[in-house]
Amino acid sequence: MKIIEVGNVKATKQGRHEGTLTVGAMPDGAPVELPLIILRGPRDGPVLWLHGCVHGNEYCTTFSIHEFLRSLEPAALRGSVVALPILNLTAFRMHRRSSPFEGFNNTDLNRCFPGNERGGFTERMAHAIYSPLKRYATHFVDSHTAYTSDTRWALYANNNPEVNRVGRAMAEAFGFENTLPTPPGTLVGSAMMSAGDDGIPSFLLEAGGLDDSFSRETVLDVAERLRNVARAIGLLEGEVTKYPPLTTFSNFYWATAPRSGLFKNKVRCGDTITKGQEIGTYYDLFGDARESALAPQSGIVLAINPGPIIPQGDVLVHIGLDPQCS
Amino acid sequence: MSKTITIGSANSTGPGVTKGTLKIAEAPDGSPVAIPVIIVQGAKEGPIVWLHGCVHGNEYCGTYIIHEFLRGLDHAKLAGTVVALPVLNLPAFQAKQRMSPYEIFHGGDLNRQFPGNPEGNQSQQMAHAIYEPLKRYADVLIDFHTALTPDVRWALFPKAQGEAGALSEKIARAFGYNSTLPAPTEILAGSAMMAAAKDGIASYIVECGGKNRSFTDDSVADAAERLRNVLRALAMLEGPVTDYAPFTYFSNFAWVTAGQAGLFERSVRCGDRIEKGSVIGRYYDAWGNSRGEAKAPESGVVLAIHSGPVMALGETLIHIGLDPRQA
Repeated sequence: MKIIEVGNVKATKQGRHEGTLTVGAMPDGAPVELPLIILRGPRDGPVLWLHGCVHGNEYCTTFSIHEFLRSLEPAALRGSVVALPILNLTAFRMHRRSSPFEGFNNTDLNRCFPGNERGGFTERMAHAIYSPLKRYATHFVDSHTAYTSDTRWALYANNNPEVNRVGRAMAEAFGFENTLPTPPGTLVGSAMMSAGDDGIPSFLLEAGGLDDSFSRETVLDVAERLRNVARAIGLLEGEVTKYPPLTTFSNFYWATAPRSGLFKNKVRCGDTITKGQEIGTYYDLFGDARESALAPQSGIVLAINPGPIIPQGDVLVHIGLDPQCS
Repeated sequence: MSKTITIGSANSTGPGVTKGTLKIAEAPDGSPVAIPVIIVQGAKEGPIVWLHGCVHGNEYCGTYIIHEFLRGLDHAKLAGTVVALPVLNLPAFQAKQRMSPYEIFHGGDLNRQFPGNPEGNQSQQMAHAIYEPLKRYADVLIDFHTALTPDVRWALFPKAQGEAGALSEKIARAFGYNSTLPAPTEILAGSAMMAAAKDGIASYIVECGGKNRSFTDDSVADAAERLRNVLRALAMLEGPVTDYAPFTYFSNFAWVTAGQAGLFERSVRCGDRIEKGSVIGRYYDAWGNSRGEAKAPESGVVLAIHSGPVMALGETLIHIGLDPRQA
C-alpha cells in the first residue's frame, strides 16, 4: 500500500490513525498543532481530504466531520480519508473567524491558499496545510457555516472540465439543492479554488451558522450526505442516494449593510427574493423603525445577517444569482 | 396630574413619550457614552416603573423585549410612568461583549457595581450615573437579562422584608415565569436588583433567552405581554390580570463550572428536572473521541446550561435552581 504521511501520522496500514500537523507557533513558542485523523481501508483507492473550521467559529463543521468519521469502519473503505476537523485552531479557541495572531496580513485563511512558507502567520498555516493536501488528495471537501442555523448551500470548483465534472458529481451526491459551480476568478485564495487549479475536484458545503447556531439534526444530515459522496466516488460501497436536481447559480452577490442599527431579518435562507423587496428592518436604540433593508439583487438567499445588531458595512445578505434548475 | 421627571436630556413634564440620552461615561476619543432613555408618562397618576436591559452588553434579547413592550404601550391608557433604558452597557453592546471593553483592571461586571461610585472605575461610574436617577424616581425596577441558550426562562426577586419585598413578589407572580427564585438578600451583591431592594424599591430580574442572537421573536412577544400583565397587576393598565400560578420556587441557585475542557454537547434543556449524578452533557476531544460525561453536581431545575460547542476549563457549565417546591 502507498504510504500516507501527514504531520506526525504515518498511515501504512488499515485503521484509524490520529496525530497532529504543526502549522505554526504561538508567541510563547508553543506549536500550533492541528488534530489530524487518517482512516485507511484495506485497499488503495481515492483519498478524500476533509477539513473544517477554516474560519475558527464555524464549529458546526468540526462536529459534522467528527460525526462522519465516527460512522466509518476502516475495513469497509476502499481508499482513505484524511481529515483536519479544526484548521484554524488559534481562532477556534477564541470564538473568532480569524487568528488572533494575524495582525498585518490577510486575516482570512480561506483567501491565503496555496499559502507561503515565508509569509505571515496565516499564509504559513495555509502552506503547511496545502502541501500535504496537494500531495495526497484525489477529492477535497471543505466545510463552512454562514450566520444562521438554516444555512444550507454548496459550491464546487469549476476551474477546468475534468475538475468540474467530478466536482459536480460530488455536489449531486451531497445533494444540497442550492449549488454554485464556482467560476474561475471567484474566491481566489480559497482552498477549493487552489485545489481546483491543481486538478483536484473540490466541493465546499455551507451548513449551519456561527458559534452554537446549528442543530444535531444538521450534523447528522451532513454526515450522511458525506457518506453519500464517499459512495459516489467509490470510497464506500452501497447504493448512491439520488437527491432532487440541483438549482445552480451564475455567481453570488455579497451585499453589505448601508447603515447600522438593531436589525431584524424578514427572509430566511433558501427564500427567493426580488430586487427591491424588503428583507429586514433597521431600528434605532429607542426601538423606532428607521429604514427597511431592500434586496439589492434578485435571486435566492444563501445567507442572511440575523442581527440583533448590525454595524454599517457588515455583510447583510448573500444572494445566489440567476437560479436555474438543472 | 403631571410631574417632572428628568433623566439626562430626557425631560418629561406631562403625559406623553419623551426621549433623550443619559451620559454615563466617556470613550477614549472623548466622545460621550450616551445611552437611550424613554419616558412614557401616563394620563393618570400611578407608580413609576423603571425598565432596563443589556446590563451585560451581549444580552440583546432584553433590549428587544423593552422595545416591543414600548411599541405596544399607549400613554393615554396608562396610569403612572414607565422609564426605560433599553441599552445600559453601551460600550459592551457595541463590542458584542458581556463587559465594557474599556474595563481592564477591575472585575467589570456592571451588575456587581451598583449603587456605583462616581470616583470608581468605569463600570462603577456607569453604575452610579444610572443608579442615581433610578433611586430618585423608581417605585419598581425590572431588569432584563439572558443566559446562554434560547430556552432560558426564569426569574428572581429579592426576598426582602417589608413592602418592597411583598411588591417584588407580586410583580414576580404577575410576570409569571414558573421557575422563580426568591433571592436571599445576601447573594448578587452589587446587582441593581439588590441595591434597589436595600433602598426600598421593589425589584425583579427576568432571565429570558440566550446571548447574542440566541432568542426568538416568540419569547420577545411573550415577555412583552407578561410585562403588560405586571402593569395590569399594578393598576397602571386596565384589564384582567392573568393568573400564572402555580410557581416553582427555589431556596437558592448553584453555579457550576466545567471541570473539563473540550467540545461539548448538552443533553438537558432549561426547565428540566435533574438529579445529582445524572448526565447533562458530553465532552469530546479535538479528534472527535468521546471524553466522558458531564454530570449534575446537585439536584434541582436547570436554569441555564452551556450551549457548547466548545468549552474551556472553568467556564460556567450549568446553573441549577435548588430545592424546587410548588408555591
